[in-house]
Amino acid sequence: MAALDLLGGGFLAAFQFWSFMTIVTGLLVGVVAGALPGISFVNAMAMALPFTYVMEPTQSMLFLGGIYVGGVFGGSISAILINVPGTPASLPATWDGYPMTKRGEAKRALTIAVTASATGGLVSALVLAFLSAPFASFALKFSQPEFFAATILGLVSVIAIAKDQPVITMVSLLLGIVVGTVGVDPLYGQARFSFGVPEMESGIRFVVVMIGLFAIGEVVDLLATNRDLRPKKSQGKAIGASFRDILNVKGAIARGTGIGCLIGMIPGAGATPGAVIAYGIEKQVSKRGKDFGTGVEEGLAAPEAAKNATTGAAMVPLLTLGIPGSAATAIMLAAMMLHGVSPGPLLFIMDPTMVYTIFAAMIIANILMIFAGIGVAQLFSTLMRTPPAILAAFIIVLSVVGAFGVRNNIFDVYVCLAFGVLGWGMKRVGFPSAPLVLGVILGPLAERYFLTSMANAQQDWTVFFTRPISGTILGLALVFILWSLSPGIKRLWIARRA
Amino acid sequence: MASAKPNQDLGQMPQAGRGIPPGFLRLLPTLIPLALLVLALVLPGHMFQSDQTASRVGLGPAAWPRAMLMGMAVFAALWIARDIWVLSAAGRKPTLSIPVEDTPYHFGKAIIGLIMIVAYGWLLPKIGFATATAIFILVWCLFGGLRNLLVVVPVTLIGTIALLWLFMGLALMPLPRGAGVFDNFSIWLLRATGIY
Repeated sequence: MAALDLLGGGFLAAFQFWSFMTIVTGLLVGVVAGALPGISFVNAMAMALPFTYVMEPTQSMLFLGGIYVGGVFGGSISAILINVPGTPASLPATWDGYPMTKRGEAKRALTIAVTASATGGLVSALVLAFLSAPFASFALKFSQPEFFAATILGLVSVIAIAKDQPVITMVSLLLGIVVGTVGVDPLYGQARFSFGVPEMESGIRFVVVMIGLFAIGEVVDLLATNRDLRPKKSQGKAIGASFRDILNVKGAIARGTGIGCLIGMIPGAGATPGAVIAYGIEKQVSKRGKDFGTGVEEGLAAPEAAKNATTGAAMVPLLTLGIPGSAATAIMLAAMMLHGVSPGPLLFIMDPTMVYTIFAAMIIANILMIFAGIGVAQLFSTLMRTPPAILAAFIIVLSVVGAFGVRNNIFDVYVCLAFGVLGWGMKRVGFPSAPLVLGVILGPLAERYFLTSMANAQQDWTVFFTRPISGTILGLALVFILWSLSPGIKRLWIARRA
Repeated sequence: MASAKPNQDLGQMPQAGRGIPPGFLRLLPTLIPLALLVLALVLPGHMFQSDQTASRVGLGPAAWPRAMLMGMAVFAALWIARDIWVLSAAGRKPTLSIPVEDTPYHFGKAIIGLIMIVAYGWLLPKIGFATATAIFILVWCLFGGLRNLLVVVPVTLIGTIALLWLFMGLALMPLPRGAGVFDNFSIWLLRATGIY
């Protein structure tokens, strides 16, 4: 009851004119930044940080929270419309969202995505408001082996998207992990695979790889096939999602939301593993799992719900323990500390108004996101009417600028172009690039957690299995692999007996 | 991601790979695992520069990449084994196969497109963002089939200025200005547009 009263007070504070406008501004900045490939919402949050100096502590959190919520969804707009994920967590949106765009169902895909994202985010914000304290005590038990196990669970989930090609998928994933090892290692400080190139010592950034693999190959294919991306008209109206479409994916949204809430609360996991794991599980659960990757609505809805469900959940360890679970929440922690606010259990006692205003703002932001998302998506959708040659030229320029902007370094542009050529080649021979990207994103995290766990346990590898939570997560990963491979093994068995 | 159907019969090759000899196309997918296997076996020897040795404390910086390369070698070997099994009998499909597009795919056009993109990236630090971008947009649009100069030229000029204003003016990104005369031109342009 006390929580409800406090949340009511939070809503009153969040609906004050300036507070409300701060949420709306943050949300719009986040959606636009998330939708622009190469300019992630985390960059936008970092750039917005100096502006929060002039704000009240609560207002600064509302602003950054708005960017966070809007940005996590915004990445899916470009993923669905031009096959370039604006953020790593939007990668699964390219697998089923973009094929829908190619069928002329961009508007329908965007409506399903924004509804799923808003639902996931809203439930997650409610979880944040009511279950913060109990979940925080669970997350406190996490250490390096548990983070490693959670990352491994994210990596193996790629098997589920293997399309009956687990061996190739594993090769692609491992190749991505090897690319992620380029540069100075996280524990010993020694540069690997630098081949005497100083820029290589700083490593290869996943954003650069992602832009190259997805944007350049797609644009070249656009040129080579003269494909028409204009939305198809159905009786004079662009094909949008009906209420029935949303009802048809309610199960996928519910499952994605549940997975996102759980994953989001694990510090270090974040939206990307949440979305990928949700996609993998949905592929196994859905009756149309075999068709995933061809534009199946459930394959779009589940990861969309999951990735936004991590936003509220990721705030749980931040607000209750002061542990930022992702780069975005780390910036929020920095903003709180700049204002002299120390997050942790005491914050709930010292300044409950601030805490519950943030909770209320997260709920409001997720509801407003439906309108902001559709508005920005409409803007992007209009872009699709542009002649493909112009669209392609600008996608290339934006991709090159996006790669350059990662470190303001021309070397990243060269890397991006190299991966662009590689990505085009991979696409031409049917070699999957998505596992490679996932390997580049999660590989460095897995290495860091693995090495620190081993160092802390005096190189005893059993630490991953003897710790109950870590062992359980790794057990889940094994079950997941077997579950994903079971249809293929069953088919082989039947063929052999026949 | 693409509308490719990975396991489609290779008999439909003419649409899939126009401009590439069919024999090479059949061989290409089987060469990839071999190349990856060789890469996985060769790379551990080139992990550190010749004047460096790996730290001997704990597992060391080479442990993780070496394990991943070993895993890659194992899976690449499995892939090769499967493809040899495939080639030994008729009617079986190789692990990788060229995707078949639902519309004709012009390989020559794709290769020229890739060359144009790489040339754009290569020219950026030499002739500057503004000049390289304007040339790239103009050439790409013309090559992409947009021949109306009344559309292409304004799109090129307005687009380049808008991008300059957005990234160098608003986001304060230090995009390359080029060298020599191109640097002077970039500075003049940035001053003329009010960015500097």
